[in-house]
Amino acid sequence: MRDKALRYIEALGGRENIRELDGCITRLRATLVDPSKVDEAKLRAAGMIGRPIRMGNGIQIVVGTHAELIATEINKILRGG
Amino acid sequence: MVPILSPFTGRVVPLDEVPDPVFAERMLGEGVAVDPGEGIAVAPIRGRLVVLHSANHAFAIEAENGLKVLVHIGLDTVHLRGEGFERLAHEGDWVEAGQPIVRFEPGRIRAAGYCLLSPVVLPDLPEGYRIQHVTASEVVAGRDPLLYVMVVSHAG
Repeated sequence: MRDKALRYIEALGGRENIRELDGCITRLRATLVDPSKVDEAKLRAAGMIGRPIRMGNGIQIVVGTHAELIATEINKILRGG
Repeated sequence: MVPILSPFTGRVVPLDEVPDPVFAERMLGEGVAVDPGEGIAVAPIRGRLVVLHSANHAFAIEAENGLKVLVHIGLDTVHLRGEGFERLAHEGDWVEAGQPIVRFEPGRIRAAGYCLLSPVVLPDLPEGYRIQHVTASEVVAGRDPLLYVMVVSHAG
């Protein structure tokens, strides 16, 4: 899970680019500093399903029914864990 | 044919009419939505409650044969952080089809500005399986099938 979390962080443009991130049941919902830094190929390689949903600085990424676990892991890493 | 019972009592609505691209574009697989008239969500199949989100707005049940059903109560309702939702089962529980999983307050959720259309989808349907929709326009939770899963070919 930690490995997956790290891959999503990198695909989202790195930890400095993630302002806030939450996990719904199947998708990660993030607010980004610069949405143009998102690497969609890397998102797909990390396990993204379908396409990212973008709204301004916000992005939603469908990852499967374990999204809350991944989000928890990402937030642990973002807080320096 | 395996019946997927309706988790909700209410009106059947095609996924195309759900204003959320993740469901309307079938990113999480085929399914159908219900506009719930009552505030109870039951297990659509017998199986393990593999995920029950901490906000109590969505859950997934996996049957012994690997069939998985995702039930999402309303749209974007994760933002309510559990307000108006109460869990009646625990993640990891073995549940029977028709068993109540979440109680919710439709009036309160709608009043908070959320759409209560509730998608029921099959996220990891194995190859060789197909779903069939029901013709009913109104369904009763735990009693009426909402979908049927059929084997169309035996792969391998």
